[in-house]
Amino acid sequence: MKSKNKIMSEPNLDAALVEEAKKGETKAFELLVNRYQQKVANVIAKFVRDHHEIQDVAQEVFIKVFRALPNFRGDSSFYTWIYRIAVNTAKNHLVAKGRRIQNAPVEFEEAENFSSNEEYRNLDTPDAVYARDELEATMSKAIASLPEDLRSAIILREVDGLSYEQIAEKMDCPIGTVRSRIFRARDAVDQVLKPLKLTESTRKTNVK
Amino acid sequence: MSNKSSQNVSELMDGELEKDCSKFLLKRMQSDDQLSQTWDNYHLMRSYLQQQNDAPLMHDLGAQVMAKIKQEQVVAESPADNRLHAWFKPLLGSAIAASVAWLAVLNFDGSGDINGTQSINNDMAVVKTAAQLIAPPAAHTARVEQKAVYTKYPSLTPKVQQYLIERNGQQVEVLPSYYNAEYMQQLQQQIRNKENSKTAE
Repeated sequence: MKSKNKIMSEPNLDAALVEEAKKGETKAFELLVNRYQQKVANVIAKFVRDHHEIQDVAQEVFIKVFRALPNFRGDSSFYTWIYRIAVNTAKNHLVAKGRRIQNAPVEFEEAENFSSNEEYRNLDTPDAVYARDELEATMSKAIASLPEDLRSAIILREVDGLSYEQIAEKMDCPIGTVRSRIFRARDAVDQVLKPLKLTESTRKTNVK
Repeated sequence: MSNKSSQNVSELMDGELEKDCSKFLLKRMQSDDQLSQTWDNYHLMRSYLQQQNDAPLMHDLGAQVMAKIKQEQVVAESPADNRLHAWFKPLLGSAIAASVAWLAVLNFDGSGDINGTQSINNDMAVVKTAAQLIAPPAAHTARVEQKAVYTKYPSLTPKVQQYLIERNGQQVEVLPSYYNAEYMQQLQQQIRNKENSKTAE
């Protein structure tokens, strides 16, 4: 069993990535964004209903985070910090949207002129919608087809947020087995996702 | 990429990997696309399982955010160029206008006097030579202009005029405006008569 003092906890992992990003390592920032993108979207979804708007606001949140990163001193955890930024950005988005609607009513002619209307241009293409739906369907199928012990381990970890030690207790098995089960569950889904993402990137390249 | 590396990524994202190994893996993920892809896919699975509040499934937002930031940086830099052009364009226009004006000054005399005289000041004038009038000099060649001499005898040559002015002084003033050989003879006779009468006295 690994000593708790020797492992890099999640807050420490975030701090290490933040330090790298502060040094100008954009890849480190990308890893951070992909790590917290869903949590941020979940927060924004409390205020904003539209899926496209949620994605836009989430993007705005991380752009703000990137700009404010030099000022982040680590007094609070990284997630606490971006949570506050996400809440403020979502609220500001609602206020700005309210003003836009109040001050600039959409003309019928403008609405018809699809290409010149910024509001309507942000809509996803049918390809993107299809890709997202396909991604979710594939993932759902992959998780459902996992062996019971792997599925239980990954759900206890990702949904219930238990540590490896707690899962080991819950499943009444050694912690090494938990490590292995969680990894095998992730790897099984990863194997299904890889060709799908490859197809998606090829499709994007062809569209370009 | 080995299974061990993937398992390390899995443990790293859960905060269950040893510090030394974590630091090494973090560095490696920044340059190894396969490892970072594994990180992204493992987090995509997490995203799928942690979706709440009817939020959409988020994936690859990191690349989109970085692309947007780079795009904004490019846009932020380009107005600086525009600003440069904004002040440079009128300056360039002024410079061209000034050059054209300077060329115009060199090519033309301004007054356009058909007699070939041109007043520079109220009390000073220049006269162009016949050659200059027929074939004006080019701007880049030196112009030779003669200083005008005021005269009441336009039909006389400049040399004669100068001689008369220097020789006769005030007497020149009484001479008529138009040169006439007969009148000059009469005049000379009158002068001779006056001198004779003086000598006779």
